[in-house]
Amino acid sequence: MNVSSLSRPWFGYLCALALTALVTGAVALIRVVAEVGNASMLYLLAVMASAVLFGRGPAILASIASFLAFNFFFVEPHYTLSVTSNDEVVSLLLLLIAGVITGQLTALLRQRAREAQSREREAVVLYDVVRLMADPERERALTAVAERIRTELELSAVVIVFGKQSPIRVQADTGDSEAIALAREAMGPAEMVLGGGQAPTASQRGQPGRWIRVVPPTARTIARLRSDRVRSVPVNLRGQPVGSIILVRKHGARKFSPANDRLLSAVAHQLGLALERLSLQREATEAEVLRRTDELRKALLNAVSHDLRTPLSSIMASAGSLRQDDVSWTEAQRGEFAEAIETEAERLNRLVGNLLDLSRIEAGSIRPEKSWYDLGSLINEVAGRLRAVTAGHKLIFDISEGLPPVLFDYVEIDQVITNLIENAVKYTPAGTEISVSARAAGDEVQVQVADRGPGILEAAIPRVLDAFFRASDSGTAKGSGLGLAVAKGLVGAHGGRIRVENREGGGARFVFTLPLHAPESEAAAQKKETA
Amino acid sequence: MTGSVQADARRGGARILVIEDEPGIVRALKTNLSAHGFQVEPVDTGRAGLNAYKRRRPDLILLDLGLPDIDGKEIVRAVRSDGATPIIILSVRGAEREKVEALDLGADDYLTKPFGVDELLARIRVALRHTAAPDAGAEPVFRTGELEIDVSQRLVRVAGSEVHLSPTEYELLRAFASQPDKLITDSMLLRRVWGPEYGDEAHYLHVYVARLRKKIEPDPQAPRYIITEPGVGYRFVTNRASLA
Repeated sequence: MNVSSLSRPWFGYLCALALTALVTGAVALIRVVAEVGNASMLYLLAVMASAVLFGRGPAILASIASFLAFNFFFVEPHYTLSVTSNDEVVSLLLLLIAGVITGQLTALLRQRAREAQSREREAVVLYDVVRLMADPERERALTAVAERIRTELELSAVVIVFGKQSPIRVQADTGDSEAIALAREAMGPAEMVLGGGQAPTASQRGQPGRWIRVVPPTARTIARLRSDRVRSVPVNLRGQPVGSIILVRKHGARKFSPANDRLLSAVAHQLGLALERLSLQREATEAEVLRRTDELRKALLNAVSHDLRTPLSSIMASAGSLRQDDVSWTEAQRGEFAEAIETEAERLNRLVGNLLDLSRIEAGSIRPEKSWYDLGSLINEVAGRLRAVTAGHKLIFDISEGLPPVLFDYVEIDQVITNLIENAVKYTPAGTEISVSARAAGDEVQVQVADRGPGILEAAIPRVLDAFFRASDSGTAKGSGLGLAVAKGLVGAHGGRIRVENREGGGARFVFTLPLHAPESEAAAQKKETA
Repeated sequence: MTGSVQADARRGGARILVIEDEPGIVRALKTNLSAHGFQVEPVDTGRAGLNAYKRRRPDLILLDLGLPDIDGKEIVRAVRSDGATPIIILSVRGAEREKVEALDLGADDYLTKPFGVDELLARIRVALRHTAAPDAGAEPVFRTGELEIDVSQRLVRVAGSEVHLSPTEYELLRAFASQPDKLITDSMLLRRVWGPEYGDEAHYLHVYVARLRKKIEPDPQAPRYIITEPGVGYRFVTNRASLA
């Protein structure tokens, strides 16, 4: 028996009558063989069968038909609908009542079973949708969802679209291309409404600006849209429609049943929830970024107002002194002023360099241009350049022999080592020792800058590498609080780590690592060397 | 210092075209360079710079890479398609890639703003000297400090004793010695020593430079001959320019 014909209503009623006729025949046969008192009970079979197979309506029809047939064929006088015996009247009425009640109960059971079935299907589909939406690749997730709906409802095509207001702008489609084209055409008018507006007046047309041409849908498009093959279910995000699921039925397929409608709106709701989760996530990230930007801006203003002004003041004072006409400076004094200008300008330059680096680090736009270098040469070069800065300290180098070439951005790691040494100089008393060492350890190289200064308060250690943090509790902090943060950011961009600790016997130690093996390139270099 | 000022003044008259749009820098350059006996012509746009180059044929060009109208690299290209006038790039920190591109296009040297006057004068001297004697590497025996390269016999001596170099190391040293005191970018060295197909594989180069330093430098950790120009290349320092 064909499933679709089973659920056509007239077919059910016809079958109910046929079943009644069948039972009538059976009762007649039995009567030929023997006189049976309760033969009418056989009609309950027809009523129950109709109820189970076709529902309430056919069951009632079967009850009435049974009542009439039994009365007509088997109750005295035969072949009339009149009843003489009171017994027979009671029996006939019982048949009718029993038939109606049985039919009702059975039909109710059948309906419950069907509902349970469709609920189960709904649950399975929804579970699948939730599972598929977990795919971080949004387009792939939506395509999978579309495909799931398509197979479940036996459709030609399913297209899922999200518009401009939604946090994701994705389209996903599945199905045959003709049906997808039909679905896309159905999307057209909605977008036109969104993008539309009043047509410019004649005077407005002369004005500069952009006008969106509103193209009314053609008659053909409208006709195709009206074809009830296409159906659109809106997807809402916080009550606002942001997209839709567009479904195209197969040619000649029946309309969507209420169960399917319920399923579709449940799926749409689920998609809306997934979207909401996504947009909440995004908002949280944006809020965090804003908060951090704001913090950075405040700290930056502090740094600018203090750290940039200090060297500028000395420069202006020195330059102004040099220009004074009423004082005759000696050659030595003039030299001092010039030197002060130079020193402070260099300090300013380093500070601006660090500010630039920090803003690049915060913006995530650090892209190290790595190449293989000798780390020892770099350390010595930095030391050479910083000779004036480190003049008051004892610098000790310990660079292990046979340190292999390391892959890094020369300018950036130069900056890291410069900042670490400058930091050590700033926060330790003159005459103390600063040691710089480099050695390979496993699959990384370790560079260490250690001092014999006062060390760092244990409580401050976790924050020492943060931007604008100054560990010094005295009011005369000499640093800008930038250098270590820049070092941390640059080392991080190289895939290395940086840590701070207090040394045994006093002083602080800054250690950073750089990965030693970038397998491919190094293998190539090795090959070249042995070749 | 005074000695070299006089030397410059004597040599004098070298005409320098300054293409730079920041008035403060132009003023400082003009004052300083004129005081050292150079003739300075400043222009503030790339177009004016190209016109001035064609009209005046300067001895050297100081070129800011961040000009308002034309990309500085285009000026390098235009000048190089016409002649070998030395070009010194003025660039800001963080524009390393652009700088290297300009150098690979044929610019001779660079200065990162802010720069000192001593540095500027040294670069100008080296660039002018190279125009005067472009083929420094052609001498049969090249000497600087304690380093001696005998080109005819392919021998290298440090403080009188022979040093054994692999063929690649020797070629690398020759490449350096052929352009003393001049900036050489990584890709120039790679192309010259390893051939054009190695233009982008700088790791060969830095590994070999480290090895070469171990053999010829008195203190490889603090090199005095082969100096790294961070992120750009190397410079083989002989101080010949200031001696000349």
